[in-house]
Amino acid sequence: MNATETTRPAAFAAPMAGTPLLEAVDVTKSFTQDGTPTQALKGVSLSVAPGEFVSIVGRSGSGKSTFLSVLSTLLRPDSGQLTYNGQDLTRATEAEVNALRHGDFAVIFQFHYLLPYLTALENTLLPFMRGLRPVSGAQRRRALECLERVGLADKGHRLPGQLSGGEQQRVAIARALVKDARVLFADEPTGSLDSATGATVMELLSQIHKDGLSVVMVTHNEQYASLSDRVVRMTDGLMA
Amino acid sequence: MNILTIALRNARKKWVRTLLLLLVFTLGVVSIVSLNFVSRVVGEGLEKKLVSFGANILVSPKSEKLTVSYGGFALGDMLFDVTYLDEKDTIARVDAIELRKNISVIAPKLVVMDRVQGTAVAIVGVRFAQEKLLKGYWMVEQGAIPGEEPAPMSAKPKGSGMHAPSAPAPAAASPTGLPQAAMAPLGVPLDTYKGNGVLVGSAAAAKLNLKLGSEIPLGNTHMVVTGILAPTGSEDDNVLLADLTFVQNAVGRPGKANFVEVAALCSGCPIEDIVHQLATALPGVEIKTLRNIVEQRMYSVHFVKQLILSVSLVILLTGCSMVGISMLSAVNERKKEIGILRSLGFSRRAVFSIFCAEAASIGLLAGLAGYVTGYAVSFRILAVLDMAEGAVLSFEPLHLAATVLILALLTSLASLVPAWKAAAIEPSEALVTL
Ligand SMILES: Nc1ncnc2c1ncn2[C@@H]1O[C@H](COP(=O)(O)OP(=O)(O)OP(=O)(O)O)[C@@H](O)[C@H]1O
Ligand SMILES: [Mg+2]
Repeated sequence: MNATETTRPAAFAAPMAGTPLLEAVDVTKSFTQDGTPTQALKGVSLSVAPGEFVSIVGRSGSGKSTFLSVLSTLLRPDSGQLTYNGQDLTRATEAEVNALRHGDFAVIFQFHYLLPYLTALENTLLPFMRGLRPVSGAQRRRALECLERVGLADKGHRLPGQLSGGEQQRVAIARALVKDARVLFADEPTGSLDSATGATVMELLSQIHKDGLSVVMVTHNEQYASLSDRVVRMTDGLMA
Repeated sequence: MNILTIALRNARKKWVRTLLLLLVFTLGVVSIVSLNFVSRVVGEGLEKKLVSFGANILVSPKSEKLTVSYGGFALGDMLFDVTYLDEKDTIARVDAIELRKNISVIAPKLVVMDRVQGTAVAIVGVRFAQEKLLKGYWMVEQGAIPGEEPAPMSAKPKGSGMHAPSAPAPAAASPTGLPQAAMAPLGVPLDTYKGNGVLVGSAAAAKLNLKLGSEIPLGNTHMVVTGILAPTGSEDDNVLLADLTFVQNAVGRPGKANFVEVAALCSGCPIEDIVHQLATALPGVEIKTLRNIVEQRMYSVHFVKQLILSVSLVILLTGCSMVGISMLSAVNERKKEIGILRSLGFSRRAVFSIFCAEAASIGLLAGLAGYVTGYAVSFRILAVLDMAEGAVLSFEPLHLAATVLILALLTSLASLVPAWKAAAIEPSEALVTL
C-alpha cells in the first residue's frame, strides 16, 4: 500500500487479514474528451479484506467514481493490477467478468438506477432475469425477503416512479442483496437523498456489512465515512 | 418472468410507439395477405371464366391463304384447296398427350359455306356437348340446343347473360380447379345426337329471318331450326351451328374437321408445354394459342397485383425504418438501463436480445393480427368484387406461421444495428454521473 490510510480501531477485524479479497495495484486510467486527455487515476492502489468496510473520500473530480468503476469491473484500467479472490481481473474474459458482476459483485449508485417500467419487485429480481429461464418461486421469495429487509415489503408492486428517492435507493440495495454478493460497491449512495433518508440508507449498509459483506463506498459525507472500518482519501487521481 | 419480460414491459410502457409500429406493420401484412388471397381467388375465377369464354388452343391444318375466318381459324380458300383433319384421329392424339389432365374441352369443327335465301352463311358442324362446355356464355333465346328438350318457359335465365355458370352440374372441383363435368365427356363423342337440328346465331336469325322450325337446305338434305341463340357478342351470332356428323355427311366429308378447339386453362397451366406436346402428337398440323385472351386478362390481374405488392413493400419498408430509427433513439435513451443490466452481469448478447426481442414481438404481433385481418378483409373484397361465391379461401396455419415468422425476422433485422449498438455500450460509459 503506497497510499496513506486513515485506519479506525478495527472494530470488525478482517477474518483473514493476510490475504485481501480484492486488491488493486497501481491502477491508471485516463479519459480523452474533446481531444484533451485527463489522467483520472495516476496509479492508485487499495486492498480490501474479506468483510471489510472501506470508505473512499476526496474532492470532486479526484477520481473516486473512476476508481470504484475499476474496482467493480465496470471500467477497464489502462494499466495496473486488479485481483479478486486470487483471480487476475485485468486478464479475465468477458464471460468471467459477467459471472462476477452477476454473482459476487453488487453495485449501487447515487442515482439508484432502476428500470422505470419494472415494479420494485421485478427490479429486485432483475439479476435472475438474464436468460430465458423464468424466475423461480424460490428466487421470488428471496426477492420479497430482501424487499422486506429494506423495509419495502408492501411496495413491491409499485413502479419506481411511484417511490420516493430513498425508497428507490433501498430497492437498489435489495437488488444488490438478492444475489448474495460478497462485495458491495456504493458510489455516493446517499448523494441524492436528504439527510434523514440518507441516514436510513447508511443504517442499512452498515447492517449489511455486519452480515459479512465487504463494502467499498465512495462518499462526501465524513460522518457516514466514519461508519466504515477504514477511510481512504483521494486527491487528484492519487491516494492522499 | 425472464429476459423477455424486460423487452415486453418496455414495449408496453412505450405503448404509443409500439401501437404505431404495430399499426404500420399490420397494415403492410394485411395488404400483402389479402392481396395474396384475393389474387389467388380472382386468378382461379378468371381461369374458370376463361374456359367459359372459349378455347385457347387451336389445332388446324397448315393453311396459306386467309379469306374467311371463324373462331380465329383461317379457313383458307374454301372453294379450292381446303385441307381437313381426321376428327377421330386428331381427338385420339390430343387425348393421349401427357398433359391431358390440363385439357378440359376438345371441340372439333367443320365449317361449310351455304346459301340461305341467296345470302352466304357459314354453317359450323360441332359436337354440341363439347361446344356447350366451351361456350358457357351461350343462352338459348328460343327453342333448345339440337338434341335437347326446350326448357319450359324459363329458357332465358335471369341475371347477366355473360356470367352464367359454364358447367351445368355442380360437380366437385377437380385437381385442376375445373369442374369435373368439364373434364369427363372427352374423346368419345358424348352426344349421340345425329339429327338435322340447327342452332342459329342471333344476327343470322334476324338477317335470314329464321324462326323455330324453319328449314334450311344443305347439300341434298336440309336442316331444321330448333333453337336461336341470344346475342353473344362473338362470331357465333353470325353462323348456324349444326351437328358435326350431320354436316360431315351432308357435304360428303365423313369424319373430317377443319379444326379443333382445345380449352386448356388451369392454374399455372403450362400452355407452352401443352402446345409442344400437341405439336409432337400431331405432326404437320398447326397449333396456335389464342394467347391474347389469356394474356390480356392475366395482365390486368398481374398489374393490380404488382401495384399492391409494391405498395405493401413500401409500407413494410417504412415500418422497418421506423423500427430502426425508434430503436436507435431508444438505445441512447436507455443507455443507463443498459449500464444497469451490464453491471448486473447481463452479457452483451443478452442486451442484444432484449432489443431484438422487443422488435420481434412487434413483428410477431403484427404478423398475427395482419394475417387474421387480411383473411377477413379478403372475404370483404371478394364480396365487393362479387366473387365470394364458390371461392374457397382456406385458412392455412402454415402460411400464418410463415407470415408471423417472416415479420418477426424482418423487424428483428430492422433493429439489428440499434441492438448491436446497445450491446456495445460499456457499463461505465452508461453510468457516469459527471
Ligand atoms: N467518461 C469520462 N470521460 C471523460 N472524462 C471523465 C470521464 N469520467 C471521469 N472523467 C474525468 O476524470 C476525472 C475523475 O472523475 P470522477 O468521476 O472519478 O471524479 P469523482 O471523484 O467521482 O468526482 P465527484 O465527487 O464529483 O463524483 C474528472 O476530471 C472527470 O472529468
Ligand atoms: Mg463521483
